[in-house]
Amino acid sequence: MKSDTLKIAKWELLRYLTNRQYLISLVLTPVLMVILMSIPTLLTYFDKPRDTIFYVVDEMGILADLRAEISPPHIILKETEHSEDLASLIYQEKASGYFIIPSKFWQTGEMSFYYNKLNQEELGIIRTAMTTILRSHRMQEFKIAPDDLEYLTQSVSIERTALEKAETMDANVMILSLVFLGLIFTMIFSSGTMLMQSALQERRDRMAEIVLSSIKPTSLMQGKIIGHFLLALIQIVFWLMISLPAVIYLLKFPLFDALQASRLGLIFFFGLGGYMLYSAIYVSIGATMDDMQSAGNTQSLVMVLPVFSILFVAPIIENPEGMVSRFASLFPLSSPLAVVIRSVFVKIPLWELMLSAAILVLSIYLISRLAAKIFRVGMLMYGKTANMAEIIRWLRYRD
Amino acid sequence: MSGLKITRLCKTYADRLVVDHISLSALRGEITGFLGPNGAGKTTTIRMIMGITAPDSGSIDFEDSDSAKIPHHLIGYLPEERGLYKDSKVINMLRFLSGLKGMDSRDVTPKAMNWLDKFGIADKAHSKIEELSKGMAQKVQFIATILHEPKYIILDEPFTGLDPVSQDLFKAELRRFADAGATILLSSHQMNILEELCDKIFLIHKGKELFHGSLSDLQDAYGNVVIKLHLEDAADIPRIVELKGIQNIKQTGAGKLELDLVESANAQSILREIPSDIVLKELSLARSGLHEIFVKIAKEGRDEV
Repeated sequence: MKSDTLKIAKWELLRYLTNRQYLISLVLTPVLMVILMSIPTLLTYFDKPRDTIFYVVDEMGILADLRAEISPPHIILKETEHSEDLASLIYQEKASGYFIIPSKFWQTGEMSFYYNKLNQEELGIIRTAMTTILRSHRMQEFKIAPDDLEYLTQSVSIERTALEKAETMDANVMILSLVFLGLIFTMIFSSGTMLMQSALQERRDRMAEIVLSSIKPTSLMQGKIIGHFLLALIQIVFWLMISLPAVIYLLKFPLFDALQASRLGLIFFFGLGGYMLYSAIYVSIGATMDDMQSAGNTQSLVMVLPVFSILFVAPIIENPEGMVSRFASLFPLSSPLAVVIRSVFVKIPLWELMLSAAILVLSIYLISRLAAKIFRVGMLMYGKTANMAEIIRWLRYRD
Repeated sequence: MSGLKITRLCKTYADRLVVDHISLSALRGEITGFLGPNGAGKTTTIRMIMGITAPDSGSIDFEDSDSAKIPHHLIGYLPEERGLYKDSKVINMLRFLSGLKGMDSRDVTPKAMNWLDKFGIADKAHSKIEELSKGMAQKVQFIATILHEPKYIILDEPFTGLDPVSQDLFKAELRRFADAGATILLSSHQMNILEELCDKIFLIHKGKELFHGSLSDLQDAYGNVVIKLHLEDAADIPRIVELKGIQNIKQTGAGKLELDLVESANAQSILREIPSDIVLKELSLARSGLHEIFVKIAKEGRDEV
């Protein structure tokens, strides 16, 4: 006889795999992602620079130099004379504007710019070009050769070498580690919500008592967690199957080399640990709710828990050896993320890794036990969302 | 033979004793009616039998189980709070629930189809639960309860919301299971059905056992004799009211009376006391039914509070 946990896992799996909505979202999500990611590229494509015309009143006679200095071919500079009616000329010629290079330019470095349509990028190009011209003119004034200027204004360069050679991590490995982390958190988020709904549905459809008369609440809970883990895995594998060929062939990402160099064991241990911890929390909270809308403060807070660990990312990258990083990699709710990110930048001492792992495993054990209690009582309460006081009371129940 | 034996079962919730030393033997081949007012402790007792709630003390023994373990695969349970996964198909639902009871998935489909056919909903096998009427869903729940041919059947209010035809179908199937040797515990408030179906009655009130035995024993213990009269002239009613040995009179229509006798009274001697000039159109003698006994006990309970 198959174990009850596996029966529940299989049921959850089959239920979603035959659910049209799930299948549609499975296929549509990567399509949407591709569309979203390609929007910037598409936008730049459609936003291809068209010819922009500027009229120039050149009192200095340096327009030729300016033209030579401006490389984008779509910026067209046309010389004109001072006139009262320059503005109407701009409109008439559909030009973007005009500017005046005044006769005292070498002394003041100031010029006036009148525009019809302002494009910051083009303004920047003109400013840079004029600056270069001004600078080289002034260098000549001081009789400084261009090479000397470079020598004078050189900035310091630092060559970095880590003492332990093995720890310098390849950028590709870093990218891969972060991608794995992203996938794990996507799994936590997507199946967390699904788990919560699944526990809630058990109550809403009045199935809890029927199911619990055949199997233990822990089997039901674990079965749900395993079932949704497999669902999330199917989702991730499906997405990877679509995206991996693109990553390998189009972006020429050295996937296999990076995979070999990555600490996959570490990533999977902490990833899976985080998944189990959050799943237990989500599924038990789902058992306290009557519907998603009536979820109280406690419940809403729990839903955003994984986001808190994301808040640690910036401080960890900034200072992987600092107090915040150390705390984050010991604290079980953030350790799955923190340890993996830290390991990309520094070598975490073995004892610290072991401690993080031990705390995580212990927390999973304790939280699962508490979750099972909440789940057990919650499942049999009908018609209302439990508040915090009630949840605490449930934890004290002997059975 | 005692199929299910409960001994001195207790359960406390927040310092309130909701089940107070209940002992009950449900015999194989018998249907035991589990009866009591709301809040008497029926559902808690049933949940303890099913292992959903743990008792504080006492024991529950199943004849087919040597250990203290509950033989879940031998029990068919229909709780009061029941439903089905709305987005699932009927046949999948039955496969899942009987799978939890340890049934081989290959055996389920033909048996399930057989039952669906018996209940006239075979054409709904591949419909989603949400497409079914309430009565149809209830039939599916009933089938899910008995599909694995349980030796113990525990039903909490199985008849509510059923039409009379389906009620008869349920009753016939339950009787058939009992005749085949199943132990059946049936909790319901539909007294007429219990009266008709149950071999034994277990009466629980405020967590305590009030009575356990056959219906006729219950009537002996709690029931009174009731005389039903239909007088030709309603003006004679006050003369009937004067008779001795009557504890309660209920007027049920024009000239229609129900006389509830005191325990010690003898019906025949009271009938003899009725003045001979009063013309009777109808006269009948009966013992108070389960309904009256239940109402009486429930009322007494309330008066005690």
